[in-house]
Amino acid sequence: MKDVRRVEWDEATEAIERCYELGWTDGLPVVPPTIERVQEFITYVDRSPDEVLGRIDERRREVSVAKAASNAVMAGCLPEYFPIVVAATEAMLDPTFNLIAPSSSQGGASLLVIVNGPVIGQLGINCKDNLFGPGNRANATIGRATRLIMMNACASIPGLFDRSIMGDPSKYTFCIGENEDESPWEPLHVDRGFAQEESTVTVFASWGPRQLRAANEPKVVLDVVADVASSLGTSLATSDSVSDHTIGVRQGQVVITFAGAGAFWNGWTKQAVKEYLHPRIGRSVADLKRVKVMEGAILTGDEDRRVNFVPEPDDILVIFAGSPEASGYRSSVILSELPKVASTAVTKAVRLP
Amino acid sequence: MATEIGNQHLLVDPTTQPIVPTFEFAPRIQDLTNKSVGMIDDSKENAKELLEEIGNLLRERFGVQCVNYHAKPSASKPADPHVIQAMADDCDFVIVAIGS
Repeated sequence: MKDVRRVEWDEATEAIERCYELGWTDGLPVVPPTIERVQEFITYVDRSPDEVLGRIDERRREVSVAKAASNAVMAGCLPEYFPIVVAATEAMLDPTFNLIAPSSSQGGASLLVIVNGPVIGQLGINCKDNLFGPGNRANATIGRATRLIMMNACASIPGLFDRSIMGDPSKYTFCIGENEDESPWEPLHVDRGFAQEESTVTVFASWGPRQLRAANEPKVVLDVVADVASSLGTSLATSDSVSDHTIGVRQGQVVITFAGAGAFWNGWTKQAVKEYLHPRIGRSVADLKRVKVMEGAILTGDEDRRVNFVPEPDDILVIFAGSPEASGYRSSVILSELPKVASTAVTKAVRLP
Repeated sequence: MATEIGNQHLLVDPTTQPIVPTFEFAPRIQDLTNKSVGMIDDSKENAKELLEEIGNLLRERFGVQCVNYHAKPSASKPADPHVIQAMADDCDFVIVAIGS
């Protein structure tokens, strides 16, 4: 094993302090990454510790299985969670995700990690009540591991490469499963080309979730979702940092989660939901000119000219998750922190031993 | 291997260090007359304006003949490697603007 350090402590609380002193934590205590514990994780996935999971060429760094394992141990993962952490690491180092953007941007993206497939049930990943909240070890530690990998192995340290102005609490951890068993639709990973029986991880550069409630009718729920997703002041509804200004805003992807009973959506396919939402997520040219996202005086007709915030219906990622006992009007909107041209969601298969 | 000696423990360092390759600078140009310059605009605010002004000055004061300009589609993504290679092939020097 490379990069092994000898650290001194007598008691467990001292071990925690040593890790703080070494600068390895996210502000919360970590599990010391002892060589034995890290080896357990590497053995579980049956891969070489030196195998490179991905590179950040711009920072001249590469992330090995051993580095990912060390951070997963620190996060408090069990060895069984490590295949998901590995897949999430591969996904976030995929050039399409473009990690240098969400990990450094002033907008302060969190890393939404969406788990699909049989591994949800096998590992007890939460996809229901208290979906985004604390209490589930798998969700809490898998999400946390990805952030520690970003900080420690990818140098996304606040003040160094992480230039977030404000950030978001979901930067600590943001991992959810999809409630595939009770969903009225095909799950996200099937939409994205994987077989139902495969387990996958999807990563998405996000701002925190905006929870919604609406009246108890599907169309009303979608109208409220569209209204919230059309908020001014979001990354989608701005025009800077891109060279193409022909549309008016830079556009981006959106994740929508729907809780409640699957039967609420009778008569609505997932595609119908996406196609209903897509033209309704946007603002008028007049509104965008008022807040200086678009330049120029407001002209006759600008109140009626629409600018879409999402490029295509398939850029709306629909997840069925949250308490199934909720009324169907409980949903959330999770906007991308970046334009689609800078970062898009990436899905990778989980290799289980 | 002994992993604990007394109160000392072996930990796998979770951090990485940059692996910086050695490289050589291209030779510096002594005379800009009739040279061609490549410009990469990072698409942040004022980068375009800055490069335009620099381009004007290079032509007027230094006799630069050709300006090859590229605006990145996104400030947050590296420049297209094909664009970089084309500029390396076609231009005598390159200026990058990081807007703010």
